[in-house]
Amino acid sequence: MLELSGVGLSFGGVRAVHDLDLAVEEGEIVSLIGPNGAGKTTVFNLITGVYGPQAGDIRFAGRSIAGLPPHRIAGRGLARTFQAIRLFLNMSVKENVLAATYGNTSAQPWQSILRTPKARREERDANAVAESALGFFGQRLAGYRWDQPAYSLSYANRRRLEIARAMATEPRMLLLDEPAAGMNPHETAEIAEVIGRLRDERGYTILVIEHDMHVVEGISDRVVALDHGKAIARGSFDQVATHPAVVEAYLGRGAASTKR
Amino acid sequence: MPPIGVDEWVARSGERTEGHAGPLAPVLRRLERIPPWAWLAIAAGAAALFPLLTDSAFALRVGVNALLLAMLALGLNVVVGWAGLLDLGYIAFYGFGAYAFALVSSDQLGEDGVHLPAWISIPAIMVAAAVLGLLLGLPSRRLVGDYLAIVTLFFGQVFVELVVNLDRVRLPGADEPISLTGGPNGIPGVDPISVLGTEIITPRGYFYLLLVLTVLLMAGLHLLDRSRTGRAWRAVREDALAASFMTIPVNGVKLMAFAFGAAIAALAGSVFAAVQAGVFPQSFETPFLILIYAALILGGAGSIAGAVLGAVVVSVTLELLRDPDQASVLFYGVVLLTLVARLRPWKLLAAVLGATVALGLVTHGAAGAISPDLTAGEPALGGWTGGALDAWLVLPENAATAGNWAFVALVCGVLATTLLAPRLRPLAIVPLVYVAAFAWEARLVGQPAITRQLLLGALLVVMMTWRAHGLLGSRRVEVL
Repeated sequence: MLELSGVGLSFGGVRAVHDLDLAVEEGEIVSLIGPNGAGKTTVFNLITGVYGPQAGDIRFAGRSIAGLPPHRIAGRGLARTFQAIRLFLNMSVKENVLAATYGNTSAQPWQSILRTPKARREERDANAVAESALGFFGQRLAGYRWDQPAYSLSYANRRRLEIARAMATEPRMLLLDEPAAGMNPHETAEIAEVIGRLRDERGYTILVIEHDMHVVEGISDRVVALDHGKAIARGSFDQVATHPAVVEAYLGRGAASTKR
Repeated sequence: MPPIGVDEWVARSGERTEGHAGPLAPVLRRLERIPPWAWLAIAAGAAALFPLLTDSAFALRVGVNALLLAMLALGLNVVVGWAGLLDLGYIAFYGFGAYAFALVSSDQLGEDGVHLPAWISIPAIMVAAAVLGLLLGLPSRRLVGDYLAIVTLFFGQVFVELVVNLDRVRLPGADEPISLTGGPNGIPGVDPISVLGTEIITPRGYFYLLLVLTVLLMAGLHLLDRSRTGRAWRAVREDALAASFMTIPVNGVKLMAFAFGAAIAALAGSVFAAVQAGVFPQSFETPFLILIYAALILGGAGSIAGAVLGAVVVSVTLELLRDPDQASVLFYGVVLLTLVARLRPWKLLAAVLGATVALGLVTHGAAGAISPDLTAGEPALGGWTGGALDAWLVLPENAATAGNWAFVALVCGVLATTLLAPRLRPLAIVPLVYVAAFAWEARLVGQPAITRQLLLGALLVVMMTWRAHGLLGSRRVEVL
């Protein structure tokens, strides 16, 4: 479904991503791990169009998306969340989700003002999409919260709302950037379960950056480890976690021999 | 009501604590349930009664100006309040609308002039302004915040310069230079607007025309606010990068906001040209832009009703401040209201007010005993309040110089007071009020042109301290 081939990106003299190959098949949950500064978020930014790749190609669902602006890539069915939460804080919870239906609707301003049948139908459909996305989180984002401003939500609920907002773009694939960051163990377990349900119930393909190895172990079909912008290991969680290059990247040279 | 302690109960604690309390609570809660349509109908009905209650051309003219400012604030609200683009060139679109309407509805162009009917020219002007808005919005694709403000401010200045200097334009092939904009003298003799074959020539007629336009505009903007376009504007204001990942084409949405604002400003400008029966460059300079911003901020950026209310408050206040008597009422009213609103508990308030009165009476008595000249001046207010003031305030006959010093002392005193410990501040308030009253009577009241602006500024400062989100705006958190 998503295929990066030979992708490279430098900032000045810093090679943030170098000759990266990465493939995610439809229906898979793939985790991207690596120490801080390994280039994980940069890979997300490349995929979602913040930067265009300086080398290589990025293909999504069979078509190249390299160099497209972010809203077009999102329109193709690639939605993402952020490591540092980026909600529309001064809009209501439901409006946050509704705003993400923009790309799947097309009523012009005059149609919205005159409330033409098309505008009404789109608005009804957008509401249904938003309510279904919010409903996915059950009591956590229950109806009484929908009209409250997003800034009134707790940290964990903001993370959930960000995922709901990404779902409202009606994507085929979700990119989750550290969904469990800053959560307590209970909430972390819940997020891991949510990620599983996103694939099983909604059929999304998921690429996730995560630092919590329990989450990674629990949800991943495959794991890709990144260091200095290069993929240093890939495979099942156990294969990657014990791979010498990964241990070295996290703990330093020599650590592999002293471990266990 | 959910059971105490469950999630929902906790999440709704804000509603309970920040909601209305006290004896008025049931009334306020009922008021909140009135739908926006009903509010609009009530407000429009009340405004429609206004011309029936007065015959004064001046009052009607104030009403017309208030509605013009309201339309301008509504347009600015789209750009600034919703899309979050700090556009300081907005006034140029108002001027563009006015000049474009004047050119096609007067003897300015050609032998006999051009006289298009308003129902053709105004829509065409709005479309042209929207296109111009798109062009001027192009820098917004790259610039945000302060940078955008500076560039657009430049556009606004360019407009005035162009209008002043396009009075000797040599067209290719023509021998004589023609005057396109009339230069500093503007374009006189602009046709009135005709509606259904009737020319509108009275202020009352324009009041109703503007009222209808404003109500339509408010209704349209309300519907737009709740549509995908309105949500996209606010999403871009909140976080443009996140919005772009949520399928919103940020640049297109910003340009659309510029175009909408420009079209609305041009509509107001066209009607303004017809109301005045002429256009002059000084109507479109930066001070008026600041007034539009003041109206929007006072009313609450992002709120449709707020923009209109702010415009009405600003224009009515400015008119009241022209007259020394009404200006004095407003001045003392604001001082008194501020004290009442800020001083708690009521015992402290009573003590401060009592001390202020006592200070005045004692000072007045002492000054009168030294020399009768010291109390020879008359306050601007008439009636019994003026008499009471006369017995309270030390005011010599020609106190302009002393008034200057008092004004400086007042400003320094207010600044120094903010440095005091909170519990000492009430002590400083007593002499400050007295000095303020002296500066007002001795100097400020005689200079309405300057004090108007000063007082409006003071009003804004008080207002923003009390309610930073404006009269009808909703509270916002800063996104860092």
